[in-house]
Amino acid sequence: MSDPRAQTLFRLRCAFVKHGRLAYLGHLEVLHTIERIVRRAGLPFAVTQGFSPHMRAGFASALPVGTSSDAEYFDLFMTEFVPVPDALERLRAAAPIDLAPTAVCYIDVHAPALTAAITRVMYRIAIDVADGYDIASERIDAAIAQLKEQGSIPYERGRKHKVLDLASTLVSWKVSALSDGGLELTLDTHISNDGSLRPEILLSATDRLLLGCAEDEGPIVSTGIQNLRTIRRYAICRTAQYVEDADGSLLSPLRTDETPSAPKSVSSVPSL
Amino acid sequence: MNVAYEDRFADIEPLLPRVEKPSRYIDHEWGTLAKPEADYRACLIYPDVYEVGLPNQGIAILYAALNAQDGISCERGYVPWVDMADAMREAGVPLLSLEGAAPVASFDLVGLHLPHEMACTNCLEALDLAGIPLLSAERGEDDPLVVSGGPSVYNPEPLAPFIDAFLIGEGEEHIVEVCRAHQRLRDAGATRSQILRELTTIPGTYVPSLYDVVVDETSTEHGYAIPKPGGDASPMVYKRVAANFAHTDPVPQSVVPYAQLVHDRLSIEVLRGCARGCRFCQAGMTYRPVRERTPDQIVAAVARGLEKTGYDEVSLTSLSTTDHSCCPEILARLNRALSETGTRVSIPSQRLDSFGIEMAAQVAGEKKGGLTFAPEAGSQRLRDVINKNVTEDDLERATRAAFAAGWRRCKLYFMMGLPSETDEDIVAIAQLADRTYEIAREVVPPAQRGGVSVSISCSVFIPKAATPFQWCAQTPDDEVKRRQQLLLHSVKNRSVRVHYHDADTSLLEAVLSRGGRDIAPVVLGAWKRGARFDAWTEQFDLARWEDAARDAGIDLRAVAQTPYSLDARLPWEHISTGASRGFLQREYRRALAGETTPDCTRTSCTGCGICPTLHVENVLAGERS
Ligand code: SF4
Repeated sequence: MSDPRAQTLFRLRCAFVKHGRLAYLGHLEVLHTIERIVRRAGLPFAVTQGFSPHMRAGFASALPVGTSSDAEYFDLFMTEFVPVPDALERLRAAAPIDLAPTAVCYIDVHAPALTAAITRVMYRIAIDVADGYDIASERIDAAIAQLKEQGSIPYERGRKHKVLDLASTLVSWKVSALSDGGLELTLDTHISNDGSLRPEILLSATDRLLLGCAEDEGPIVSTGIQNLRTIRRYAICRTAQYVEDADGSLLSPLRTDETPSAPKSVSSVPSL
Repeated sequence: MNVAYEDRFADIEPLLPRVEKPSRYIDHEWGTLAKPEADYRACLIYPDVYEVGLPNQGIAILYAALNAQDGISCERGYVPWVDMADAMREAGVPLLSLEGAAPVASFDLVGLHLPHEMACTNCLEALDLAGIPLLSAERGEDDPLVVSGGPSVYNPEPLAPFIDAFLIGEGEEHIVEVCRAHQRLRDAGATRSQILRELTTIPGTYVPSLYDVVVDETSTEHGYAIPKPGGDASPMVYKRVAANFAHTDPVPQSVVPYAQLVHDRLSIEVLRGCARGCRFCQAGMTYRPVRERTPDQIVAAVARGLEKTGYDEVSLTSLSTTDHSCCPEILARLNRALSETGTRVSIPSQRLDSFGIEMAAQVAGEKKGGLTFAPEAGSQRLRDVINKNVTEDDLERATRAAFAAGWRRCKLYFMMGLPSETDEDIVAIAQLADRTYEIAREVVPPAQRGGVSVSISCSVFIPKAATPFQWCAQTPDDEVKRRQQLLLHSVKNRSVRVHYHDADTSLLEAVLSRGGRDIAPVVLGAWKRGARFDAWTEQFDLARWEDAARDAGIDLRAVAQTPYSLDARLPWEHISTGASRGFLQREYRRALAGETTPDCTRTSCTGCGICPTLHVENVLAGERS
C-alpha cells in the first residue's frame, strides 16, 4: 500500500531583504511574517504531519534586532511546481516593500539546510563618529588589527560568559571614509556551528580600544544595540551570505554547485 | 492646527534600540489603509500597548469604515509602554500615530477607545504625551476634537471633563457622521463651541460640557446630568445600533502585525448581542438586540479574510458564538473548507451544556487544550439570582462530555460578592470544582489522569451601569478577602487550583463604574501621581488612587460600597441602552426573589424595551435551540 501522505515535493529558495524600519523586527517576527506572506501569496506550501500541522519552511541564521539585510533566505517546501517568475511575483505582491523577495529558484529537496550551507556572511557598518572624537579610518583599522591579533573578545550575554573568537570568524575587514564624512566598515566573516561574529561586539571592543579604556570597566554586554562613546550612531547591514565551494570560492545560496536546470523533485514522505 | 502633520519617525528611531519590543512602534504592517493626502484625518487610539490594542475588533471596524470614505483618513495610535513613554518625554518627542508617524495633536479628531474602566489613566497618558490639554475646557481652537467610545462608555461621567464628545453604542456609522460633520464645520470656520453644540444633533453623541451635574434629594451624592439651561442637548442620549449589522462587511480587519500577539488571528464577528440576560452583565444589555450573520456570509468571509491576511487561525467571535442558530452548519462547512491548510478555527467561549462541548469538539481537532466554563455562581439559588440559566445537571453533562472527548484541563469562572451571596454560596463553588475533579477521575482512563487539571478563577462582582444590578453595592474589600480565604479552605481536593482577582483593582473598578463626574479629579490626581497601565497588575498601585481621592475629598470605599436606592436618579441615567428603568427594576426585584427570566431569542420578548425604543429587532439566521 502506498502511503497516502507520500507526495511530490518541490523546494523553493527565496532571497529577500530586511530594510528600513523593519530592521527592528526580531527573528521570530520575521519568520512569522514570511509565513503569512507565503499564505497570502497562495503558494501550495507543504504542511508537516502530526499533532499541530504547520508550514514546512527553513530559514538562515537569525539577524539581530536592528540589523538590516540585503540578502536573507528562506526555503519553502511545496506540493506543486509553480514557475519561478510566477512564484516571485506572487511573493512580492504579498510582501511589504521592506521585506521584499528579490529572487527565487528551485533547489534539490535533499540539499543541506540553509543554516548548514551558508558559511560566509558579509556586513557593512555605517559609522558616525561622536562629536569631540577625531577618529580617522586608520585608527579603527589599527584597533581591529590589534583585536584580531589578540584573537578573541570576552563578553556577556544574559548571565553567560562568552567569547567571540575572531581568529576563526573574522576573515577580513576594510575601513573607508565616506564622502559624507562618515566611515564605513566592511566585514567578511565565517559562520559555523562553532560560532559567528556579532558585529556589535567587535564595535564595542573597538570603541574601548579607541578610548584607551582601563580594564576595570567590566565586560562587554551583548544587548542588541550598544551604547558606544566614540561612535555616535552605527547601522549594520548584512550585505551577502555565501555557500563555500570545495575549492573555497563563494557561491550564492541561490546558485549552489549543482543549480538544477529543471526543478528536482522526489517522491517521499516528508521527513520530520 | 498648531502642530504640523509630518513624518517624525526620525525622532523616535534613535529611541528604538533602547526599548523593549521596538516592533510596537514601527508600523509598516501589511494591510494599513490610511491615506496621508486626505483632507480630514482621524487618529484612533487604543489605551494600552500595541500588542494588546491591535487585535481590537471595534477599532478595526471603525478604521475600515473611515478609510472607506473619500477624503477621510484614519490612522491608529497606542500608548507607548513605560520605557518608551519615558524615553519620548526625555527626548521631547510627542505621541505619534502609527501609519504616518505624525504627531497625534496634528489630527482633526482623536478617538480614545474605552475597553474597560481601568483604561482611564492611560487615556490621560495618551493625551498628555500627545501634548493635548487634558481638560476639554482648556482645549483651544487648534486642538483636535477628542472623542471617546467603546464598551465602557455607559457611565462616562468619571471621564466627562477630559472628553469633548462620547459616541455611545455601535460606532461604524456614527463615527463617519461625526467626522463628516466636524469636517464641514471646520471648513465653514465654526468655533470649537459651535462644533460641540452641532455634534449633539447627531444621535448617540454625548457632549458632557453641555450638561450640568445636579445633586439634590432625588439623586445620589454623585448627582445626575441635565442639559444646561438654554442649550438644546438632549436629556437622554440613546446608544446607536447598527440595525443592518448582517449587511455590514464581515471582514473589516486588514492590518496584520509583525509582532506576535496573544490573539494573533483573523476574527470574524458572526453575531452581535446576547439575550441570555445575565443580570450582572453589561455587554448583555449594551449590545442588544441580537443580530446574526448567515452561514453563507460567514463561510465566504473566512475564506476571503484568510486570503487577505495570511493568518493561520480564525476566531468566530461574539458574546456567545455557540448560540448562533446555525452554529453546527457553520463549523462543519468551515472544517471541510479548511482541512489540509493547517488553519485552526476557534470559538472564544464555551456554552455550558453538551451542545457546547459538541461544538468545541468540532473545532478542537486532535489538539485539545483547556476548556473554560463560566458557571459564575456556585449554588443553584445564586445562579437563579443572576439569571445564569444553567443547572447542576447541565454542568455535569458538559464536563463529563468534555473529559470523555479528550480534554484534560478545565477552568471554571466564578464571581464573588454577588448580591445576596452567603458563605454557603462560596462553599458551593468549592463543591462544584471538587465535583468536576471527581467526574474527571471517573471519565479519564487511569493512565492519563496525571494530565487532569481543574482550576477555579474567581473575580469580584462589579456593579455596572445599565444592568439590573446597577443599584447594588460592591462587597467591602476586606469581606471579599475573607470570602477568598473561605473559598481556598473549602476546596477539598488539593489538585484543584484556585485563582482570585485582586480586591484592590476590583474596588477601583467599582468606583469608576458607580461614581459620577465627582470622580474625575481622582482620575486626574491618580495619573499625576504616576498611575498608568492600571490594567497591568504589576503597574497598579492603589496607594496612588487613595492619595488622589483623599485630596479630592472622596472616600473610595464609600463610593464602591454604598447601595443606591431603587428610585434615586443615578449619575449615568442620561445615557441609555434603550432598556427601560422599569425593566431593570423589575429584573432587580426578580433577582432578589430568585426568579429567572428567559432568553428573548428562544422564547418571546421579555420587555426590556430596547427594540421598540430604538426601532430595531432581533435578527436570526435560523431557529435557535
Ligand atoms: S425588546 Fe424584547 S425582543 Fe428586544 S431585546 Fe428586549 S427583550 Fe429581547
